[in-house]
Amino acid sequence: MNFTEDQIIRYSRHILLQDVGVDGQEKISKGKVLIVGAGGLGAPVAFYLAAAGVGTIGIIDGDVVDLSNLQRQIIHFTQDVDKPKVLSAKEKISQLNPDVNVITYQTLLSSENAPEIINDYDFVVDGTDNFPVKFLINDACVIAGKPFSHGGILRFDGQTLTHVPGTACYRCLFHAPPPPNAVPTCSQAGVLGAIAGMLGTIQAAEVLKYLTGVGELLTNKLLSFNAKTMEFRTIKTKRSEKCPVCGSNPTITQLVDYAQAACEIKTKR
Amino acid sequence: MTYNLDVTKEHCPMTFVKTKIELNKLRKGDILNVKVIAGEPLENVPRSATEQGFNVLSVTETATPGIYNIEIEK
Amino acid sequence: MAKITVNGKEQELENLTTLAQLITSNNITQPDMVSVQLNEEFVNRENYETIALKDGDEVDFLYFMGGGQSA
Repeated sequence: MNFTEDQIIRYSRHILLQDVGVDGQEKISKGKVLIVGAGGLGAPVAFYLAAAGVGTIGIIDGDVVDLSNLQRQIIHFTQDVDKPKVLSAKEKISQLNPDVNVITYQTLLSSENAPEIINDYDFVVDGTDNFPVKFLINDACVIAGKPFSHGGILRFDGQTLTHVPGTACYRCLFHAPPPPNAVPTCSQAGVLGAIAGMLGTIQAAEVLKYLTGVGELLTNKLLSFNAKTMEFRTIKTKRSEKCPVCGSNPTITQLVDYAQAACEIKTKR
Repeated sequence: MTYNLDVTKEHCPMTFVKTKIELNKLRKGDILNVKVIAGEPLENVPRSATEQGFNVLSVTETATPGIYNIEIEK
Repeated sequence: MAKITVNGKEQELENLTTLAQLITSNNITQPDMVSVQLNEEFVNRENYETIALKDGDEVDFLYFMGGGQSA
């Protein structure tokens, strides 16, 4: 791959790294990453992957920008209120780095569209804000053999894990979504805006490490932090034999759209 | 084989970035002669090359005062 | 007296304690909020009442974190 003079300058700080170099930058430039959710986590992920020159970034989000988002969804500005989030995100990514091919999906990820959408990508990032879709991303990626990064934030806390085939998935740790109202959401409990940046940037780093092959991924681990004390903890885990989707006897072989409001399980082909 | 690179017009760290890009194209055992100006490039290029596992064979001043040749083996 | 670790910190158990009792004693008011790992293995909810902790056990309470707008 031949970089232009401008690209050599743009990515010089990557090229300088012994662990990345020209070869690593090529891998990044050929990478295709899907970001599910253009919100608190999706925003820093999108920014850092765009800055790094990831070749293709897909973003899926059905929402429009709301004023209350601006406290943490830093890819959206005041003038973007009421604009579809994926369009707002695409604009900023393109301005930051025109090298990046941005593909937008102004819709929600579902059991019907997930397999086809994720198929085109090397890595999937969960930047979503609800449990049904977190489990959907997990199941879709495990069934398709796609690596992904799970992320979640609340109040002053964040947690993330990386899954590649054969390693612990989200369901290995959390077998099923919690009952509705068992766990508060950010709109109920609140979240310190910068927490989104802390966690999303870790996810972006995991993506870049995956693409370049550098370092050790957060596989078979759950990294969690509490920003009040700045205590970071890495819990060791492993693929659970009893996991409903990646265990020895999977009971989930098809994607499930958990109802958002109620705990009914609807299976779809 | 021996190759030449002139980074006398570059500012650090582009001096080493360009050196690295050229070295990346070479085969093991090839030599790259890198022309740099005195000052930061003269310090940075040999040091970074060594840190990243390349063999700096020599650093000599050329016929033009203030211009140096760094001989690096991949 | 058993010494266990909970979320990386040491706790001493004076009496025989089940996972369910440990959850309560750690001020987790709703067991539905957490997932439990015992010695790096996931534990099914229905077993919380029956698993008794022993010296050296490592328990991790994993909290659901969804984020965002909707439930």
